[in-house]
Amino acid sequence: MGLLDLDGLAVEYQTLHGAVRAVRGVSLSLPAGRALGLVGESGCGKTTLARALIGVLPRNARITGGSYRFDGVEMLALGRDGFNDYRWRRIAMVPQAAMDSLDPVQRVGDQMAETMVLRGGMTRSAALSRAEEIFRLVGLEPGRLRLYPHELSGGMKQRAVIALALALRPQLVIADEPVTALDVIVQHQVLRMLRDLRATLGVSLLLITHDISVVAHLCDDVAVMYAGRIVEWGPVGEVFARPRHPYTMGLRNAFPSLREHQEHLVPIEGYPPDLHNPPQGCAFAPRCPFAIQRCWDDDPALTVADGMAAACHRASEAAALRVEVAQAFERMVKDEAPAPAAPLEVE
Amino acid sequence: MSGADRALALPPRWSRANATWREALQTMVVVARRDRFALAGLIIYLVFVVIAVLAPAVAPYPPFELNYQPDGEVAANLGPSVHHLLGTTNLGRDIFSQLLYGSRAALVVGFVAALGVVILGTIVGLFAGYFGGWVDTVLMRAADVAFGIPFLPMAIVLVAFLGPSIWNVVLVMTLLLWRDTGRIVRAQVLSLRERSYVEAARVLGASHLRTMFVHIAPNVLPLSFLYGALAVGWAILTEASISFLGFGDPNVVSWGFMLQDAYNSQALARQAFYWFVPPGVCIMLAVMAGFFISRGYEELLFPRLRRR
Amino acid sequence: MKRATFILSRLGQTLLVLLVVATLLFLIFRLMPGNPLVAYLDPTFTEEMAQQLRRQFGLDQPLHTQYFAFLRNVIRGQFGNSFFTREPVNQVIWNVLPNTLVLTLASLILAYIVGVLGGALLAARRGSWVEHWGIPTVLATRAAPEFWVGMLALAIFSFSLNWFPFGGATSPGSVFPSMWAQILSLDFLHHLALPAFTLALYLQGLPTLLMRNSMLEVMDEDFITFARMRGLPERTIILRHAARNALLPVVTAFALGIGYSIGGNVIIETVFSWPGLGRTLVRAVAAKDYPVAQAAFLMIAVVMIGMNFVADLFYSLLDPRVSHERR
Repeated sequence: MGLLDLDGLAVEYQTLHGAVRAVRGVSLSLPAGRALGLVGESGCGKTTLARALIGVLPRNARITGGSYRFDGVEMLALGRDGFNDYRWRRIAMVPQAAMDSLDPVQRVGDQMAETMVLRGGMTRSAALSRAEEIFRLVGLEPGRLRLYPHELSGGMKQRAVIALALALRPQLVIADEPVTALDVIVQHQVLRMLRDLRATLGVSLLLITHDISVVAHLCDDVAVMYAGRIVEWGPVGEVFARPRHPYTMGLRNAFPSLREHQEHLVPIEGYPPDLHNPPQGCAFAPRCPFAIQRCWDDDPALTVADGMAAACHRASEAAALRVEVAQAFERMVKDEAPAPAAPLEVE
Repeated sequence: MSGADRALALPPRWSRANATWREALQTMVVVARRDRFALAGLIIYLVFVVIAVLAPAVAPYPPFELNYQPDGEVAANLGPSVHHLLGTTNLGRDIFSQLLYGSRAALVVGFVAALGVVILGTIVGLFAGYFGGWVDTVLMRAADVAFGIPFLPMAIVLVAFLGPSIWNVVLVMTLLLWRDTGRIVRAQVLSLRERSYVEAARVLGASHLRTMFVHIAPNVLPLSFLYGALAVGWAILTEASISFLGFGDPNVVSWGFMLQDAYNSQALARQAFYWFVPPGVCIMLAVMAGFFISRGYEELLFPRLRRR
Repeated sequence: MKRATFILSRLGQTLLVLLVVATLLFLIFRLMPGNPLVAYLDPTFTEEMAQQLRRQFGLDQPLHTQYFAFLRNVIRGQFGNSFFTREPVNQVIWNVLPNTLVLTLASLILAYIVGVLGGALLAARRGSWVEHWGIPTVLATRAAPEFWVGMLALAIFSFSLNWFPFGGATSPGSVFPSMWAQILSLDFLHHLALPAFTLALYLQGLPTLLMRNSMLEVMDEDFITFARMRGLPERTIILRHAARNALLPVVTAFALGIGYSIGGNVIIETVFSWPGLGRTLVRAVAAKDYPVAQAAFLMIAVVMIGMNFVADLFYSLLDPRVSHERR
């Protein structure tokens, strides 16, 4: 059992056009002290999942099923106040919009102190000295605590938000695209800092990103998310070296940083499915060069083999598929109308 | 129904920000169909228009006529009765007839002034936003000045000097109220100017005027219309205020004129509510209709606040 | 300092607007059809006397000479004497200015207290019946002509119920040792109540709607979501983070409101016969008492434009971002 255990967690948005099933049964486990990277295209449900874990979903979203255990406690069974005890004291978050996450009219230090006083039960002076301590930890001069958010650069704001997340010594930090909004040099600085922090603090990390190079840099494990589900999950080296789900193979081909020797990048053609009415079969089938009839009919379950999990009917043939994957995806790009269009009509 | 959803129901090409004049007009219809408040506003205007057109046929007496009782006495200060639905003024004029005729002044002032405001404001905004540079600077400084002028005092001074006629009231309002429309249209044009279809039109040899009025104007029209709907209300309210202060056209019955008449004729002391309540209610309805329509527009164009 | 540059550029703009408004005023009063002295002259005046008067008022000078003389007088605060009472114009203005300021401030403060609380309530109860009926009601108070609401108030509370006086600022015949004694007297407050409430009823619409929209907008901001993620108490989130940010535009509107309602007071002061700046303007214009009309108008314009400037200052002080980001 890990620090964080999800089993079939589902989140739905109520919209005027019906329910959108943004997270469709996610099962994951994160052992204490490890870092898990959650990757996927935008709109695959990563951020929704993260916000469900901290218990702050948009107004029209709610958790519709599954189990969410933290340190063995079923979080969904806790009431509002019970959940709030965990929030920030044990589970903290670096939200996606870290640039705009600080109150513009209050000094950064006051916002940190406020959180520590109200949530950590510290005195104001203890909170302020703790704030200075963490500021140093994230590489910011303590003097910056007296500044307003707009007086900080993007990178500094990001560090300040990370400092705020570490303020109460949480066991788990969820970081949603922590470096996406930063320019490349600052990205590297922040990533290195995050890695050092993990080493010194031993905090567990759930890192959410669309950029698999960031995961390779920071994480022990990786889970690939597609259309509200986990499609592949395992140790970083293993998953990226020998992916077993065609989507992971495609992602690997679509990103420059991992395989620098590759002459050109091959994008994955098409768009994720409409989650108003998720497809009956595998959600990736319409974009998959290896889809067979079974893929259109049954949704494959996430099955574990050799410490790795993949949700693909053809996972056992993965080694063979990997050989022709680049050409296969390239063919999909060239054929404007992909061959498996017909089965969509079959109902 | 939320604003976002309404936005989806717009004529298909609208949201792509390359509207034609026809589509801009279609949007107006959509607003009325989608928003209960906007619909209510339109209905109020329609009713007033019908009343204004039919006033001579429907009104039981000419508005300025002195009425006499059967015994030859002037029918002054009568309460409501079958003969005079809302009673009579201290000079024996029929209040109900005045109320019906009053809709004419209100609508003429309201709509003509709003039209003036929209036209002047849109043209200023188009020129300032499209040409930028010194044209922009000069026009926007002018808008600053217009914002700095105390509106009602200036209106009073101008009407007092130009002479008491409703056309002067209309003129004054156009000269003073274009500023809001001008500023907002300019901001919109600034963002539209960068769009590719505007550039395309220029590359294909469209003249500046053609680009402005054929390619850009339809896109800002709904925005102008929003401010126009508000201006109708402001104009009616201002006309009433000016008339109430005694600077209005003495030969035109307006609701403000009626209220001034009532105020100066001790109607308050006599508790003649039938005299001074109806005109006020009419002004309020007409102004609210403008608010409602502009609100319907606002939520269609800026659905941000209604989201979720 | 960036803030200093911001303030200076605003100040320059403010002075420019003032100059243009003063110039417009000069042109209106000099170029309009009819001789400004029409009201002053009566048929018994001979042509020589009229000429002499014209000379006395400088009307025989070329226009630009008149203009510079006008500007000089405006800057020195010399507006001459009233055509009618022959009182110095400054005296006339200073006598009524306190009344206008008291009426405006009293109603504005009342309106903004009600508006801020009401707006926050409307935002907090989004989608409920409170919002459903609240917003049309607020719109109705903004659509109802002030003078009409004043008439209703007078008819009901003064003429029918006899709770409040019919008009004026003090009871006829009352004498006070000083202006302050008058303003602080119960008699004055009794006279103030009805016009102040009527004006406040009209004025509250803007802060109410502004506060509501501003609150709704702020509640959608990322920093509010982040405060929720940190598990801060809802009260802290609403009061310390949301309301504080939402108040910015409302505070600005308050300063603007002082200016605008002094201009708009024309109406309320007339209905309630309140001896203020607006009523003085209306009466002077009606009587073609140019010196008084000119001075009253300029006074209103100065207060209004000055308050626009103060609003900008406020904003740059309250929102640390403004002076840096804007322009």
